[in-house]
Amino acid sequence: MTLGTAPIGYDLSLCIPNLKAKGKESALAEMVSAAHLAGAIREPDLLLELLRVRERVGSTALGKGVAIPSARSVTVLAPRLVLGRTARGIEWGAADGHPVTLIFMALAPGEWREEAFHGLIARAAAVARLQRNRHRLLSAPSPEAVAEVLRGASA
Amino acid sequence: MGHPTYPRSADEAPASTERWTPLSRIVHLNDLDLLTRETTDPASLARLKKLGLAAEDTERLKAARAQAAQSVGARWLVAYERARQRYGSAVAAVRDRVCLGCFVTLPTTARPRSGAETVTTCESCGRILFWG
Ligand SMILES: [Zn+2]
Repeated sequence: MTLGTAPIGYDLSLCIPNLKAKGKESALAEMVSAAHLAGAIREPDLLLELLRVRERVGSTALGKGVAIPSARSVTVLAPRLVLGRTARGIEWGAADGHPVTLIFMALAPGEWREEAFHGLIARAAAVARLQRNRHRLLSAPSPEAVAEVLRGASA
Repeated sequence: MGHPTYPRSADEAPASTERWTPLSRIVHLNDLDLLTRETTDPASLARLKKLGLAAEDTERLKAARAQAAQSVGARWLVAYERARQRYGSAVAAVRDRVCLGCFVTLPTTARPRSGAETVTTCESCGRILFWG
């Protein structure tokens, strides 16, 4: 499902409003698959494996129901934030013990420096930090409404 | 383009890296080296902590890296390590026939045939090429 370009500075063009996945790794797989179908990445198997290794290094859950899994790889064609939403919540190893309901997957090309990559992650974190934004993202009835929230949040 | 398939319950399943091409193995090694730099460089690590992202279990990353290096095999590992020592990152993506490592336009003949398991390097900088 494509949102078009939301002016978050980078093309936040992918949103999965209702993830089918019930677990962390299957959620990662579902989001990678969506990014692949949208033509944002090559070699989804490689990207998925990288995301899995990243999670083993330390949980990417920020708490308050938010996770920002991230990957930087030459298999990423252009920077993307992929948003996955799940009402039931997914266990993500968060320090506050809360399951995750909003997942921002930050994908950056391999040639990006750490600073730029972390800038992309920071944008997602800035949106997710505000309780009002989280609530609006979770209750938005359509991908278009999600895009609207992100547009407002990053304005 | 085939639809990618994943294990239905992927939460514990190990990656089936055995069927990866030699280039895929090299790209994965490069991915892990980028991640290693991200999670060990002090300035980078400080930013991650500030963002609230954990990255403390680097032993597991080391193990994954060692496994990935072994799967690449001695022949390509030499070229890989040489380029990594020199540039920090051994693999460069190619867009519109331009090596994104050194920005040289590659000859039309440089691209391996589709489906070929050939690994190619940039004739200008020596980086291993990922034709995206
Ligand atoms: Zn080059």
